Amino acid sequence: MTTSSVSKGCFVFKPDLKKRKRTVDIEEYFVDADDDCSYGRERFSICRSLWEKIKTDTEILQDELNKKILDSLLEFIKKCTSSFQCRSDEWSCLMRASEIPTAALVLGVNVPDHDMTFQSLSDLLQESVTPFAVSVQAKECSGMPKSNLMQKLLERLMGVRVTEEEYEEDPSLSGVPLQQKRVSCSIGALCQWYKAVTNVRKHIKFSPGKYCSLENDVLQCPPIVVIFKDFEAFNPHVLQDFIFICSRYIQELPLLLVFGIATSPCTIQHMLPHSVSSLLCIELFQSLSCTQHLATVIDKLILTAEFPFKLSGKVLQVLVNIFLYHDFSVRNFVKGLQLALLEHFHSQPLSVLCCKKKHALLNAQKLSHQHLEMLRQLPSFMRYVEAQEPQEQVQLLTSDKYVKEVCQKLLKDIRKYHKNYYCILRCLSSLTSSLPKYPLGKHIRELHMSCLERNIWETNEYESAIQLLRLLAKDELVATLKKFVFVLSQYLYSTIPFNARIWFWNKYTMLCPLGMHVEDVSEGITPLGKDLQKKTDLFHLQKTLLEMKGSRRTKKMTPFEMLKNEALDFIDCFVRSHLSPPELQPLHEVCYYSSSGFLRQHLNATPRTSIQTALSQPFYYLQNENLKTDAGTVSSSAPDICIVYKLHLECGRLINLYDWLEAYATVVSGAEGKDPDSEEYGKVDELKHARFIKAVSELEFLGFVKSTKQKTDHVARLTWGGC
Amino acid sequence: MKNFFDILQVYVRLWMAFIVLFHMDFHCVFSVCFYCYCAAGEENRSAPTGASVFTFQAMKRSKKMAQMVRFVSTTPHRLRKRISAPNLRSDSDSDFSPSNSEEEEGDEDDVEKRKCSEAQPKPPGTSSAAAAAVCKTPTKRSKTAPEVGSRPNLVEEYFEAHSSSKVLTSDRTLQKLQTPKLDRETLFRLLDGKPSCYGEEIDHLNKKHEKNFSKWMLQLQMGFNILLYGLGSKKHLLETFRTTMLSSCMHLVVNGFFPSITLKSILNAITSEVLEHDGSFRSPMDQIDFIVKTLKNDPDSHVYLIVHNIDGPMLRGENTQQALGQLASIPNMHLLASIDHINAPLVWDHSKMSVFNWLWYETTTFIPYMEETSYENSLLVQQTGALALSSLTHVLRSLTPNARGIFRLLAEFQLENKDNPSYTGLSFQDFYQRSREAFLVNSDITLRTQLTEFRDHKLIRTKKGADGVEYLTIPVDAGTLTDFLEKEDVE
Repeated sequence: MTTSSVSKGCFVFKPDLKKRKRTVDIEEYFVDADDDCSYGRERFSICRSLWEKIKTDTEILQDELNKKILDSLLEFIKKCTSSFQCRSDEWSCLMRASEIPTAALVLGVNVPDHDMTFQSLSDLLQESVTPFAVSVQAKECSGMPKSNLMQKLLERLMGVRVTEEEYEEDPSLSGVPLQQKRVSCSIGALCQWYKAVTNVRKHIKFSPGKYCSLENDVLQCPPIVVIFKDFEAFNPHVLQDFIFICSRYIQELPLLLVFGIATSPCTIQHMLPHSVSSLLCIELFQSLSCTQHLATVIDKLILTAEFPFKLSGKVLQVLVNIFLYHDFSVRNFVKGLQLALLEHFHSQPLSVLCCKKKHALLNAQKLSHQHLEMLRQLPSFMRYVEAQEPQEQVQLLTSDKYVKEVCQKLLKDIRKYHKNYYCILRCLSSLTSSLPKYPLGKHIRELHMSCLERNIWETNEYESAIQLLRLLAKDELVATLKKFVFVLSQYLYSTIPFNARIWFWNKYTMLCPLGMHVEDVSEGITPLGKDLQKKTDLFHLQKTLLEMKGSRRTKKMTPFEMLKNEALDFIDCFVRSHLSPPELQPLHEVCYYSSSGFLRQHLNATPRTSIQTALSQPFYYLQNENLKTDAGTVSSSAPDICIVYKLHLECGRLINLYDWLEAYATVVSGAEGKDPDSEEYGKVDELKHARFIKAVSELEFLGFVKSTKQKTDHVARLTWGGC
Repeated sequence: MKNFFDILQVYVRLWMAFIVLFHMDFHCVFSVCFYCYCAAGEENRSAPTGASVFTFQAMKRSKKMAQMVRFVSTTPHRLRKRISAPNLRSDSDSDFSPSNSEEEEGDEDDVEKRKCSEAQPKPPGTSSAAAAAVCKTPTKRSKTAPEVGSRPNLVEEYFEAHSSSKVLTSDRTLQKLQTPKLDRETLFRLLDGKPSCYGEEIDHLNKKHEKNFSKWMLQLQMGFNILLYGLGSKKHLLETFRTTMLSSCMHLVVNGFFPSITLKSILNAITSEVLEHDGSFRSPMDQIDFIVKTLKNDPDSHVYLIVHNIDGPMLRGENTQQALGQLASIPNMHLLASIDHINAPLVWDHSKMSVFNWLWYETTTFIPYMEETSYENSLLVQQTGALALSSLTHVLRSLTPNARGIFRLLAEFQLENKDNPSYTGLSFQDFYQRSREAFLVNSDITLRTQLTEFRDHKLIRTKKGADGVEYLTIPVDAGTLTDFLEKEDVE
């Protein structure tokens, strides 16, 4: 069966039931990639388990981050609900009686990430406040104004099955939703339905009498919460009408609105006129910014020794750039991470060693000869071998057993390295993240990336950061060192020599009182300064200043300064020993994914560039000597479409088809090697005409030209920009 | 006076750069910059070649192409340029002037020299904006002044082309050819006979893409969707993928380039044939909800959806893409699609991108777009009308006899009036009367629905007359229409 037809555009293929595979074996495709090696399955299972972990971890993270804002939102909703119940005759209550309580949830422009937030919000609502939480999206309510919105709303609300028992007790109720669908969609109908439902609820809940009073109230008359997921996308008129109508029924119907806003709270004013927005009682909730979210994700997923899979500096840079310059979407960042993970395990056979320590050591023991050969080919391993004694070198290159042992040792080493690396990275970041002008970056990820790329202590930025640390005032220095010690103490598992820590701790404790002491000294100095101010005589002033200068020059280092230098030198030595880039570690290829080009190509592609390259430099794709040309020119024997494209670039806004065709015929005749003086040269024959038509219609299909009626037999050029 | 003009020039330039920065789409600007960057890297590979290279500059001097691109310049800016930089102007002008046509092509030295002179970094104020120069030496220029140099030239090229409403091109038409018209059959016959050039390299290229098949399957299973882009028809590649990898799976192929493909037909194919559900749906929304629900309940059954040209003209609509995105986000629905239009990525905004969860694969195949362009009825129509005819018949064949009758009525009326220069079309009321008399419709609503369908397929065009009445015409020339009626009669 073919898939080309002039009457049909859709073709369904159903294999026989017998042949049809019910469950697809994903691992099969994984193994397929390199049939010569085993361990495909192992690699895939490691990959999958890692991905599951990443996925659940990010979900948990998201929940944690949203917890605060969702909790406050819930609080607000509960408060509003209780105020519905106890409508007193107070003046303020009456004032507010006709206002619809509204929560404006400002979530930021990373729209793709919002889904999860709304999902957890509606889950939370369903769980703790009301079964009547409905979320609507603009795309569902497009088309006819208002009626669609109302229809969706009613459908979803009445489709809610309140509890099982209710249906048993009152079978007539179950018929309601179906009927309502056919009946007109109005708020009036909603009111009736709500009354019916709550009556039943009251009836049930009161009889057992096992809820406390407030809770009971909430459960008695649960509010109806309407969540507008993408507030900006709604038709303003629809919203205005909806709000206006709702405000009329607010006495009977405890209604609550939640606006999900991507831009800024001003949009409410833009979309709703004052007469409508005055019907709302809006409270604003601001969610965490997406960069903070990203920072947490990087902190938990990447800057940890827990995950054996690592990204190289360039890859991380690509992912962060896509985040910062394209979408601000954490979800896409995690997607990039997933792709890198998948690609690493798919393309690197030795990634079988990239798992938990126990497993990795076990797998290293089981490596086949082929794998060991691959291991020996790794550049980092070769470097390692070269650094060994000659005798050991021979053994490493010949004995499989020995290599396995060394491999295990190296794996242990690299784990140790990671533990120390992340510990010291955080410590260093705690020191430098508050320095003026942020020489090493504001965020820990920037520091991490520069550490991954080169020896951080050789950079100017590091130098200036240490300089700045030396210049810090004593109280600031003590505060930052306090942070440093705090971070260090969190990493109990790190293998930094215990006595070194103790030593540092001692220095720190010595530093603290000294800091105080220095304060005293400086206080001692200030009276002198006051003296200075008093003396207005120029001569005296000069004299005192000279004296002070001299005394400063000869001044010995105070104990505080000595201690400070000692501490900073100690930190510097820490950094030098533990923050070396991973490329220097043997076997780093096993756990580092480094192909940044792959990620960029597949996540952030530039289709237009690729098409234009293919058209203007076919040699890039078709490696044929005939196509090799100078930059900016196209060989006359190039594919037709390239020639036609090149010719069209030299034209203006409109292109005369006849001239175009003639120019094309000339070029092609040249390629055919005809004699330029002959009669035939450059003549348009049928075949050339046909080829030209094809090429032009292809260009039109690609969107470079379009037909125009401005002049007979002309086409309009659509692209500009000289490539 | 000269000073005044200089100042004016600076102003104009600044203003133009400003406008272009805001008006040209950024994607374009970036891709151009990126392209220049690529090209600069590429240059190292390409070496000067022998006589087989045909430089376009040489060709231009000898041929008339040169004459046709000439703009009438009216803006003070262009006037100014001619005064302030006469030497540069004459340099590029020589490209356009026919007086040089005596020079033989292949005069490589001269060409090289010319290029060098163009490649020299010019102060931004006086850089010659000859459109051709920009095309010819993008790489050299980008090398010398990658950022500063390219932008003003882009700007100038754009404005050069759009500076005046008049465009001077030669008046010759295709009628001058011995065979001004080629119909569809001859076209295919001619092209079939022609051996494809670089078949070996193209095969090699495609073999390389085919190596990715198992990886695609893996990535599809992991929840990604695959999007292919790059020059050349990707239908063949996807077909190979389908036959090799999907033979034992349920799958659906959609030709997005098909002129009358609709979202409804795709959804119907899924619900009625894949899910074997008979029953109608109130709206596409409901239908999608149903599909989502059904597939969620049966997580073991995987459905593969292959869409050739997801950027096809009929699928470009916001709602269609939204719906396709919803389908693509179902965990056990896997989507492979291809795009060809250079602006195709503009179809998706961020939220759509994230539902589609694309992985982009560059698959430049260099295979001609035979099937994709065979439906197209624009350029070739102007030349032959054959394609318009075939598309007319194609579309009408899928309609009911009544609809065909309605269309026929209109066609006949139009033919009757073909010699009437003041004919504006058939008014809706008249049309309704006639259709009613022929027992083709029973209410004007039926007729309107029919007309909407015609309009969707661009079979008819409506125009409001001076009296506010709608007039209907068929936007096809009389000859084609006669052919069409004859063909219909035969059937």
